[in-house]
Amino acid sequence: MPFISLIQRQSDYTNFASDVPIVIDNGASYFRIGWAGETDPRVIFRNIVLRPRHKGTGETVTVVGDHNTTLLKYFDMSRAGPRSAFEDDVVCQFEIMEYVLDFGFDRLGADQSEIDHPVLITECACNPLQSRSKMAELLFESYGVPSVAFGVDAAFSYKYNQRLGICDNNGLAVCSGFNTSRVIPFIGGEPVYEACCRTNVGGYHITDYMKELLSLKFPQHVSKLTWEKVEDLKMEHSYIAPDYASEVQIFKQGGKEAEEKTRCWQLPWTPLPVDEPPSEEEISRKAALKERQTQRMRELADAKRVSKINELENGIKGLEFLLQQLRNFEEKDIPAFLKETGYTSRQEVESSLIKNTQSLRKLKGEQIEVEEKPDSLLAERFSLINVPDETLTPEQIKEKRKQSSLKSAAEGRQRAKQKRVEEELERERKIKLEEQRRLENPQRYLEEMHAKYKEIMEKVEQRKRLKTNGTQTNGNNNNGTGAIGRGERLNAAQRERMRLLTTAAFDRGKGEDTFGIKDEDWHLYKLMSKDNDDEDDYKPDEDEAELARISSRLREIDPLFLAMSSEPGSSVAEAPRSRPLTEEDFQITFGVERFRCPEILFNPNFIGIDQAGLDEMVGVAIRRLPSKGRELEESITNSILLTGGSCLLPGMSQRLEAGIRMIRPCGTPIQIFRASDPILDAWRGAAAYATAMQFPYQTFSRMDYYEKGEDALRRYQLRYNI
Amino acid sequence: MEREVVEAELVLPSHFSFKKIQSYVKYPKGQSKVRWKHIKQIIQAENYQNYPPDEPNYVNIESPPSMHPCKRICDITGFEAPYFDPRTKLRYANTEVFKIIRSLPPDYVKRYLALRNALVVIR
Repeated sequence: MPFISLIQRQSDYTNFASDVPIVIDNGASYFRIGWAGETDPRVIFRNIVLRPRHKGTGETVTVVGDHNTTLLKYFDMSRAGPRSAFEDDVVCQFEIMEYVLDFGFDRLGADQSEIDHPVLITECACNPLQSRSKMAELLFESYGVPSVAFGVDAAFSYKYNQRLGICDNNGLAVCSGFNTSRVIPFIGGEPVYEACCRTNVGGYHITDYMKELLSLKFPQHVSKLTWEKVEDLKMEHSYIAPDYASEVQIFKQGGKEAEEKTRCWQLPWTPLPVDEPPSEEEISRKAALKERQTQRMRELADAKRVSKINELENGIKGLEFLLQQLRNFEEKDIPAFLKETGYTSRQEVESSLIKNTQSLRKLKGEQIEVEEKPDSLLAERFSLINVPDETLTPEQIKEKRKQSSLKSAAEGRQRAKQKRVEEELERERKIKLEEQRRLENPQRYLEEMHAKYKEIMEKVEQRKRLKTNGTQTNGNNNNGTGAIGRGERLNAAQRERMRLLTTAAFDRGKGEDTFGIKDEDWHLYKLMSKDNDDEDDYKPDEDEAELARISSRLREIDPLFLAMSSEPGSSVAEAPRSRPLTEEDFQITFGVERFRCPEILFNPNFIGIDQAGLDEMVGVAIRRLPSKGRELEESITNSILLTGGSCLLPGMSQRLEAGIRMIRPCGTPIQIFRASDPILDAWRGAAAYATAMQFPYQTFSRMDYYEKGEDALRRYQLRYNI
Repeated sequence: MEREVVEAELVLPSHFSFKKIQSYVKYPKGQSKVRWKHIKQIIQAENYQNYPPDEPNYVNIESPPSMHPCKRICDITGFEAPYFDPRTKLRYANTEVFKIIRSLPPDYVKRYLALRNALVVIR
């Protein structure tokens, strides 16, 4: 792991005299602070700030850098993503910067009343004045720093490697950092900012791209794909393809090589316990239990039935006795006698008796003869129907009306019954006919059946599609892509309605308004307002019934017949859901992503950034040089230094060399060197620089800041050759 | 606060002896009055157009657009993409990928488009 945090508090702060500069490499990903003249920075941590809320006390706290993540469980991190002071490679958020500096100085061991050391801090090339002056203000006013020097990290790295003999006096630094990538040419050991070149793509974008691609590919494991994890995956597995097109071809063809190049990250997974089939004993035990339960239920039901029968019999006996008594009474005494019993007339008693006997029979399981009464009875029941109205009393007329309606209902029932019987006969006849046909030529019959089945199937399918299409896409109309045409989302009837609406809307405007002169005009509204969905419902039902009939018939006669699933798509979609999850479901595999993501350094247009990639940037930088000349250009391409965190990606220098060779004249000497340590060289270079005798003359003092102000800060530039 | 949190010195103290102006004075709790300018605002405030054009500054050192023909890759697989789906606006490599993109839910399509900054957001 190239990135390691060191956040131990240093104890030897007081050992350093006040003229020993503090050196800070303020990188967008990591913050490194240490003492001039030393080989390694004392404190290294991620240049981020978290502002979570403590779960216990509810206060918002500030956490700088990366800490033991297990300690973060005491904090509510839901609204506190990591924040960086950087935008591109410029420091913008000075509040965050201040927390980071606080933490850095604190861990360096600072404990006096101010930071009484010159500070050398890195910044990006051509840092906007506002950012630089805010940084100076912060260091001078908040920390009491006596003097500040601003330098460019890539330049320090180049100078450091030049001292090591890796690169030349004339050359080029290709620095691919966290937020941006820069190319800075050097002539005579000094950076030529006029010719330098920046593309806003860096390691951050690679990780972000990879994270998004993997979470789109494995949406079920999004929670596992944290920023830190993907960063690890990137550093461990990604590489730069020598040639993107041919590398991708390997994966396109598949085969062994692609398999070897595919990486797989196994997520924690425990196989589900396989449920064993229940034993014999278990089955019998369960069956016995079930049997016992049903037995109990049956007994309960029987007991209930018996008690009901008893009740009814008693009731019937009582009623019979009542009727017997009633026979002894005169007609006019009956109501008085019945008052106590709750009945009002003899008829009522009789009817309830009949009702009770009927339900008793039903309970006992006897057949009840229904309605079917002889015609003589019928004639008697409807006695008044044929008598002319004139001869009847008003009450009788009422009775007659009732009778006539009753009669028509009875006749209707009769007719319906007859029809049912006829239909039954018809169906039987049809089945017989079909059977006959089948027996005549079974093969042909089967074919016919299959054809019919297919036809109806298609009809039903189409209808379903129309319907679902209509409703489904209507449901997510708000999808914003607007990609689904209007025509595809409505069914025919709805389309017709839309057409009516639009014509009505546009026709009204032109010419004379004659709408409403004819009565038919108003029918339009009826058509428009009709909810067309209801109409469709009947027919498909019929079709589906037919379909079910045919498929059952086919199943009977054709052993090979397999009913098509009603929705062909569903089988595909449902397959993974029904299948038990296996180890493979918990694997994150990535093949093309390994080199697709770093490729954005060379093709920023993959992530929509319309700027030159690293190889082209070298060409641009050389083109921008104020002093031209073949010799100079050759000396520059002969000493190209790769630095910055993203240069750790394997395959970087080969790819860069191939890319530069394509844009430089034939025969140009090209040599690419990797910095001795692409991550720490900037700090080491700065630390070495700060020890120079001339360093104090390169700083910008607090006095200058107060006397000369911002304009001097704008013109301030470090000389690297001292 | 839990003991292990205190021991790890996880939380940044609000007072430092080496500071002349403490941050709680600058940024009273709960309200960050200062609204830091974003990079775009900084660049605008810098008025680079008034500076001599041959002097390097943050804006003019930026790389120009690429001169190479734009490589089109399949949004899903990363293969070379000869085809373009007019409905989803995604690029795709072959029929299998086409099947996939046509079955993608709309928000996935949007995320794929956003990846290469091609998502048109209608506000």
